[in-house]
Amino acid sequence: MRGVFNAQGVLKTFPGVTALEDVSLTLTQGSIHALLGENGAGKSTLIKVMTGVYRPDAGSMTLAGAAYEPQNTHDAIAKGIGVVHQERNLIPRFSVAENIFLELMADQPLRRIDYPKLYRDARRWLDMLEIDADPATPVERLSVARMQLVEIAKALSLNSQILMLDEPTASLTPHETDTLFGILRRLRDDGVSLVFVSHKLEEVQEICDSVTVLRDGRNACESRPLEGLGRQDIVRLMIGRSEMIPDWSARDRTGDRPVLELSGVSTGIGHSNIDLSIHKGEIVGVYGLVGAGRSELAKAILGKFEVTAGDVMVDGRRADIRSVADAVGRYRIGYVSEDRKGEGLILIHSVLENVGIPIWRRLAKLGGFLTKGHVRKQTEPYIRKLEVRTPSLEQNVGNLSGGNQQKVSVAKWLAAEAKILIVDEPSIGIDIKTKAYLHELIRELSDAGTALLLITSDMPEMIALADRIVVMSDYRVMGEIVNNRDYRAMSEGIMGLIQDNEASAA
Amino acid sequence: MIASSRDSASDIGDTQSEQFRTVALLRFFLSNEFGLIVLVVIFAIIFSTLSPAFLSKFSLYALGRTSAVNIMIGFSMMVVILTGGLNLSVGAIGVSSAMFGGWLMQAFGLPWVPAVFGGLAMGAALGAINGIVIVQSGLHSFIITLATMSIFFGVMIFLTQADSYREISPEFAGFGRMKIQGVVSPLLLVTIGVAVLLSGLFRLTSLGREMLAAGANPQAAELSGIRVNRTITLCHMLSGVLAGIAGMMLVARTGAAIPSMAGQLGQDWLLPAFLGPVLGGTLLTGGRVSVLGTLLGSFLVTMLTSGLLLMQVGAFWIQTYLGLLLLTAVLIDLARRRYLQRRKLV
Repeated sequence: MRGVFNAQGVLKTFPGVTALEDVSLTLTQGSIHALLGENGAGKSTLIKVMTGVYRPDAGSMTLAGAAYEPQNTHDAIAKGIGVVHQERNLIPRFSVAENIFLELMADQPLRRIDYPKLYRDARRWLDMLEIDADPATPVERLSVARMQLVEIAKALSLNSQILMLDEPTASLTPHETDTLFGILRRLRDDGVSLVFVSHKLEEVQEICDSVTVLRDGRNACESRPLEGLGRQDIVRLMIGRSEMIPDWSARDRTGDRPVLELSGVSTGIGHSNIDLSIHKGEIVGVYGLVGAGRSELAKAILGKFEVTAGDVMVDGRRADIRSVADAVGRYRIGYVSEDRKGEGLILIHSVLENVGIPIWRRLAKLGGFLTKGHVRKQTEPYIRKLEVRTPSLEQNVGNLSGGNQQKVSVAKWLAAEAKILIVDEPSIGIDIKTKAYLHELIRELSDAGTALLLITSDMPEMIALADRIVVMSDYRVMGEIVNNRDYRAMSEGIMGLIQDNEASAA
Repeated sequence: MIASSRDSASDIGDTQSEQFRTVALLRFFLSNEFGLIVLVVIFAIIFSTLSPAFLSKFSLYALGRTSAVNIMIGFSMMVVILTGGLNLSVGAIGVSSAMFGGWLMQAFGLPWVPAVFGGLAMGAALGAINGIVIVQSGLHSFIITLATMSIFFGVMIFLTQADSYREISPEFAGFGRMKIQGVVSPLLLVTIGVAVLLSGLFRLTSLGREMLAAGANPQAAELSGIRVNRTITLCHMLSGVLAGIAGMMLVARTGAAIPSMAGQLGQDWLLPAFLGPVLGGTLLTGGRVSVLGTLLGSFLVTMLTSGLLLMQVGAFWIQTYLGLLLLTAVLIDLARRRYLQRRKLV
């Protein structure tokens, strides 16, 4: 095996931050290489250096033995380095074939497009990746998993010898993940060199051959075989200590007074007859498959969607929530969105502006006057408590890492002193350390009396945190289980409730 | 060093504050406002060298008075751009407000203060119509204000029968012609006063912050408890009031309310309306404004126009130069932002 790509002593600094220092990486032909590290460890920066987005301040890179100094992303693509980004990079209304060959079509903008040929060529890639889709279908009609595969086809069609995949399984179901892995293994056997970035260590152990771990912008290990490394070894390399798995005992908070009660609630977007209650200091989990109407229920509680029947009670009294502003201002309900970038945060505004939003009105003096100092005084303790890593409170949230962004969206509701907090998929795209931290925080909040509604598709997370688990399917509540922290019994119980619904529907 | 700076990063701004100050200084020198100040100084030197009349009292007075109106028009557009929208009806609203104010003075002999407030109330009402239709229909403000531009102007022409109101209160016309210390127009002081109030709105009030948040990301703003629809409607009302002020300033300057004072459909205002905010660094996608930048941008444009006129450059060339200026400024701004982005300074 020879090294097809090599990076040696890469240094990349930004004002105030050294993103990479003395980082090295060697990729061999026909292997799958895991690139691991916590959020902010420098993985994205390294990928951007490799793909010509950033130029390194020091260090050298070689590709197939020759010096490699990409001037821009085009250059990197031309030299055979392709990336499948975490964010979708497809044009929704264009067809599958047009998306795959976008770069090629852009090279000769005035030539008439030979669609039959385009579709034939696309077919070849689709067949190879076993994508069951017509090349003429607009991408927007595909499932998320297939979009992911189309992106891989796009990268491969550019003759990529090195293919980097940034969290490719983040939005895939276990079955789709298996299919993807089959394809990745085949690509590896065909001699492609793959770089796999993921937070899911089980997957890394399943599919990768070698591993490079970054910690605080340096190599914690460099291109070593994965064989013989256990999960805890990898975790130790990533965070510098072992993973702590919380062993919280089951609790019963149903004796305390109910803070939020829904009885027979139907909504304008299709929920029918929802019963749900959360008591003081209780964590109620809502489990369900994608499309079960969980986030939508959260937004109905918040007043974004209309409640058409039934009662919503807060603190034992009928709540009159007509808008999100009512829910936040009058009833102190907070919502941490699963879609941080779209719904949770204002990326072009600063940390301070983001954390302060829900309390501006509350803090404002007569005439609506409000200074930065006021907001800072109220929010800074929470930003510090959550250990948000930012050079200053004036930094734009868009420049923070995913984990820190999530901390900002949680800090916002702590500062607002929410009595009811709805947390939607809190650990999407979050590293192990931050995830463990968030779990502790959620538990701590409930101990302090906050009523929490936890929406998550992450079964271990659900079983670690929730006191009771409500199972939803098709915008209805299928049943409720008291969580006794026994993983096997709980997951079987949950899946049983979901399958009951499917059985009765069939 | 690296390790220590990273560990202390959670200690917000203690050990890094010095470094951050350097960055902040660098950021100021790379800011739009600083660039505009440099341009204003450079062009002032060029014009005064080429044409000594540029620094005459009369010329400076006229420059101040014209820029007062142009800056106000820029503000009127700015407060809608910050919602991520546009207001093509600024001119139509401005003229309609001015005509209403003029009518109040001529038909009822109202003193100028209540008449001006009447004019501004008309501006607010027309802005509110824009805002309400936009948030209720969910259509882009471009379409809505394109329609209301014609509607407002058409109704105004119908009601006034395209006649001017020339019986303007003499105090008001006097105000428009007044010279403080022989050079400063009180209109410019009004504009500076409004600029200070707008800065205060965005820096010191919850409403101003809500406007910016709703403009930057309406979904996130709503889920954080901001009444986004109401906030956006208020932005349009504010735009109407500011357009009304600009219209009333023109009435004070000319001593008459004339339906054609901003051209057909009020379109003559569109170029100054966009030039100021865009040169000033207002983000067209919403959520970020610079009051000072808009002020400087509009001032620069007015100065260029009057300087070129003094140098007896043909009027059609002035339009060309302004277009070129806009394009150059936007390209320089792009390069500046790329640089900041690359170095993660923004």
